[in-house]
Amino acid sequence: MPESLPQKPPKSQIRSDKAPAGDEASLNPNAGCGVAVPAGDDTIILAKDIVKSFGTNIAVDGLSLSIKRGEVYGFLGPNGAGKTTTVNILTTADLPDSAELYIDGVDALSNRVAARSDIGIVQQQNSLEKEISVRENIVHHGLMQNMSRKQIEARMEVLCERMQLTGRLDSLVRDLSGGWKRRVAIVCSLIHNPKILFLDEPATGLDTQSRNLLYSMVKAINAEGTTIFFTTHYIYEAEDLCHRIGIINEGKLVAEGTPDELQSMVPPSALVVTFEDGREEVSYHENHEAAQRAALEMEGATSIAVRQSNLEDVFLELTGRSL
Amino acid sequence: MRPYNIFSEALRVAYGDLCFFRRNIIQIIISSLIGPLLYLIAFGYGMRSGSTGGADVSYISYIVPGIVAITTLTAGFASTSQKILIQRLFYTSFDELILSPMHTPSIILGKSIIGMLKGLVGSVAMLILGVALSDTLFITPSLIACIILASFTFSLMGVMAGLLANSSPTLTMLSSILITPMTFLCGTLFAVSALPELFAMIIWVLPLTHASELIRSTALGWSFPWWSLLTLLAYAAGFFLINCKLIKEKLY
Repeated sequence: MPESLPQKPPKSQIRSDKAPAGDEASLNPNAGCGVAVPAGDDTIILAKDIVKSFGTNIAVDGLSLSIKRGEVYGFLGPNGAGKTTTVNILTTADLPDSAELYIDGVDALSNRVAARSDIGIVQQQNSLEKEISVRENIVHHGLMQNMSRKQIEARMEVLCERMQLTGRLDSLVRDLSGGWKRRVAIVCSLIHNPKILFLDEPATGLDTQSRNLLYSMVKAINAEGTTIFFTTHYIYEAEDLCHRIGIINEGKLVAEGTPDELQSMVPPSALVVTFEDGREEVSYHENHEAAQRAALEMEGATSIAVRQSNLEDVFLELTGRSL
Repeated sequence: MRPYNIFSEALRVAYGDLCFFRRNIIQIIISSLIGPLLYLIAFGYGMRSGSTGGADVSYISYIVPGIVAITTLTAGFASTSQKILIQRLFYTSFDELILSPMHTPSIILGKSIIGMLKGLVGSVAMLILGVALSDTLFITPSLIACIILASFTFSLMGVMAGLLANSSPTLTMLSSILITPMTFLCGTLFAVSALPELFAMIIWVLPLTHASELIRSTALGWSFPWWSLLTLLAYAAGFFLINCKLIKEKLY
């Protein structure tokens, strides 16, 4: 992680409704975040009690978030958990049924136009105009952010050099591969130098090389002070990149903390036992020796493995679902 | 709310569409002329006659302005409705637009510019051909202004259809219900007075009837149909306000 990243919060900030009893704040994932006041200097996104339904389906159910300035926040959850709906509401693309939302102190629900100036978005699905060139796409995004042509040209030069796009500015977007298109999308989203960059499943569909480049770009952008909020269901992506991670399931924030803090919610050794009928059971132990001792007592097992527990295990423990 | 220049913002919104237009202008002109040319050949030279409502002009002179009106409708409606539907459902670039700090009226105006431009280009190309075929047709500033107004109105209608349709078949159905009947019945290829009275009354309510009236009157030097101008302006304002509501309340 770059040196400029914020300090990790203390362990007491972990919030999970499956956390040990005795800490009331930790029992309610939304209890600790959010008084209904505009964001202070340290908080750049403050959302309280977001509710959004589609018909009878509640997509987001009373979710609250507080994102700190300069942090990389990973929003983790399985498909259909409510990630994209939450991002749509945080970016003001969609209206909640009820919520309070402040983007850098601006009430984003009553003043959406002002709030949008602080936001850059790379959507899950590529949203570039395919039939025009890379340069035209970037200029178009800059113009829509009320920038002058001179400002756009200057900023485009810097960003394209960093993303190694300079030689492809006059290519049509439709002729680019997925990885190149994602780079163009990132340049477009950064052209107005936003305070917050939202990345919705940014690595989806990318090969390993493009994915690694994306991760290094995210780190570099964050090192310049841009707050990054990204959704993913790639557990290792979140572990590697994020200062804090929020886990969403069925529209609710079920846990939040640094990767280490979340990791500490399950014992460090995982015993994975596969039985004759194909069933797989995972149990957690304080160390590998304890896991191995437990393995010896297993009957009917066809394979036994002891490994380090990871965030996926945390997710499984919290929600009963795998990512 | 911070004051803003709607025209400046609309041009910013339209920039991507204008780049596409510039890159593909030859194909756009050719494709926008195919339909009108077929109407001209089939009705003007194939059938050769039709009701002109008692007007003392040749049938060719009568239908060329009608075909121009059809061009404003088809080019304006199709280019905006299809583009918005694709941008909304397949490319999600419409979301990108909605997420920009552009104001809603600017977005609507900006998205209608491409339809207006296509309607204007197709109509002017058709008019140039018409002037060569008829000595009673004239291209005047008021005619161009009427073509722009008609193209703009139908572009706004296209924006509305593009926002309301939730699939490609729905848009095709909207087009079949709205556009195809208007194309043939709204005083474009024959006079509305030739229809039964009840039909004629219904047809008089539709915007293409008034676009056709405006374009024909100004092209042939007839008295200016102020009522049609007001009706078309009312339609444009209505479509604009409906689009504002659709976007602001995310009803699409």
